Amino acid sequence: MDPAAATALIQTIAQGLLTGGLYALIGTGLSLIFGVMRVINFAHGDFLAIGMFITLALFRAFNLDPYFSVLVAAPVGFALGYVIQRVILARLGDRLAEGSMLATLGLGLIISNTLLLTFGAQPQNINVAYATKTVQLGGVQLSIPLIVAGIGTLAAIGGLNFLLYRTELGRAIRATAQNPLGAELQGVKTATIQAIVFGLGVAFAAIAGVLLMPLLYAFPTVGENYTTKAFIVTVLGGLGNLPGAVVGGLVLGTIESLGAFYISNNYRDAYGLVAFLLVLLLRPEGLFGRTVKRV
Amino acid sequence: MTRIITTLLLATAASAAAQGTIQIGAITSLSGRFATFGQMQQAGFKVALDEVNARGGVNGQKVELAIEDDASDTNKALTAAEKLVNAKVPVVIGAYASGITKPLSQYMARVKVPLLVATAVDETITKPGNAYTFRVNNQSSVYTRSLIDQLRKTPGLKTAVILTSNDAFGKSVLTDATKLLPGAGYTILGKDTYDQGLTDFRPLLNRYKGQNPDVVIFASYEQDAVALTKQVKEVGLKPRIIAGIATGFALPAFLTGAADAAEGFLVTMVWNPDVRYPGAQNLYTRLKAALGGAEPSQHAAQSYAAMLAAIDAVKRAGGTDPEKVRAALAQTNLKTAFGPVAFRTYGGYTNQNSVVGLITQVQEGKFVTVGPASAARGKLILGK
Repeated sequence: MDPAAATALIQTIAQGLLTGGLYALIGTGLSLIFGVMRVINFAHGDFLAIGMFITLALFRAFNLDPYFSVLVAAPVGFALGYVIQRVILARLGDRLAEGSMLATLGLGLIISNTLLLTFGAQPQNINVAYATKTVQLGGVQLSIPLIVAGIGTLAAIGGLNFLLYRTELGRAIRATAQNPLGAELQGVKTATIQAIVFGLGVAFAAIAGVLLMPLLYAFPTVGENYTTKAFIVTVLGGLGNLPGAVVGGLVLGTIESLGAFYISNNYRDAYGLVAFLLVLLLRPEGLFGRTVKRV
Repeated sequence: MTRIITTLLLATAASAAAQGTIQIGAITSLSGRFATFGQMQQAGFKVALDEVNARGGVNGQKVELAIEDDASDTNKALTAAEKLVNAKVPVVIGAYASGITKPLSQYMARVKVPLLVATAVDETITKPGNAYTFRVNNQSSVYTRSLIDQLRKTPGLKTAVILTSNDAFGKSVLTDATKLLPGAGYTILGKDTYDQGLTDFRPLLNRYKGQNPDVVIFASYEQDAVALTKQVKEVGLKPRIIAGIATGFALPAFLTGAADAAEGFLVTMVWNPDVRYPGAQNLYTRLKAALGGAEPSQHAAQSYAAMLAAIDAVKRAGGTDPEKVRAALAQTNLKTAFGPVAFRTYGGYTNQNSVVGLITQVQEGKFVTVGPASAARGKLILGK
């Protein structure tokens, strides 16, 4: 292999991993919500769109650097998720499993249409000086926003891990995930925990939106594509399995990139889906899921 | 009782007003993914109508625009067409995108109302075309050919890659470029397509970087053009010439969206404010005003010319009978600030206008016409 082609390949893998990191960040939020609440959040991509538009609006209004918007987008996302869980999902009661699907689908529609009415249909982007800046690492050229997105993903997932395994709140979340009734009996306020978890999941989607903004453009239905990716990522890793979602994201990003690089770009989405189907066929519990015991 | 009389009076007044105006139908994408182009079209229509009405209208009647939004969707465009045909418009201008315009042109031929295509470029809209479809814009092969003519005149370049969107327009460009490039002495190192809305072009661009082609040719709609261009800079792909065929690259939003990453891009188009047609600069000013101060694109100018052609045909037809308007359209011979409009049938094409294809280059954040020699205002700058 000649050096130019080798560099191109390494560059592709590096970029695939970084893109995959973003998929992982989106998938983590989805997986966390499912793990604790058994709710599949169909509005996940739309929450990502909210993160993008918050960034856009703050930039337009105050010329705020896109990355600082995370200080607004993450709390707003958390509050939004908390309220939605309290006001809508918590009221579904016993019908949560079926009801939540319709409820989150409906929420997604409301969000994307609100964005459409507020910001218009045309794709919009923001230009910051570093948007197209790159760094060279031994011939491999990587974009700064993509690297920042990678670091942001690491920080967000690391922070979540700390929260889950090193804090009292994390213990309560894990307990609620394992056995809601048992947790309740031990004095955990599971209703509050579920609202916090939904808030965290939405905040993760919003953070991903902020990190994507300097790289891409925002439009009201930008989330659709990412909802699909988040599903693939979580199923690849095992629904509700957080480390699984991270690896699932990295695997998907790399598979897509290598497929487009080596085979053909036309079937790009197919590579991920083929991997997804293979996992479903061979390991229905996901790459890292525990085998389901059948009684 | 008074109310009923008032209503009757109002109704009579309204119908009298309706008799006093001529409605020109238009279908474009005012919402959805092609919304930016739709807004350009709307501005072009408006400027043409204002111009005609300021001169007293046509045949003593004011001209009005009956515009329908297709929401970037084929089915909605067809419903809109039905509505306009039922409203008895003499002619319809539309739609924006090739994929929507093709079925629209077939529908319009079936109901026998002429369709003026202002912007869509797909070959098959006028090849073979039909007696009711007239195109103001050049067909896509002319855009591609004018670029490749320019490449042929640029010495020392041998290899090329082509990447287009996976739709009617993109495939049209891909087919033409594949056919024409070898004749101009180029070896094609790679040709790829992508589904619209793809956000990560890096793997492909990395592959091209590894192949190190002299020329890179793209055909994309709006958001893809910006993402693609930013990522070209990001991966460090540096060919001698990098070119975009019209559409997304020919938008002012491309210049602002891709900013410094757009510098040096060649973009083929048929109209740029610096063209040498009389009145072009004035048209630019009026289009800009109609867009509320935003920069107009060639799509606005094309729509302006299409509206002038439609009104001109109604004038010569002496009325709004679609059949007479169709016959008049076939005889069109206009000189406009967009360029000439005359529909000819030749080489397998039906009712196809022909405008000089311009090669522009993004220089210091502006489109500067660098080719062909007769139209050039600046010099082509090669990469590296």
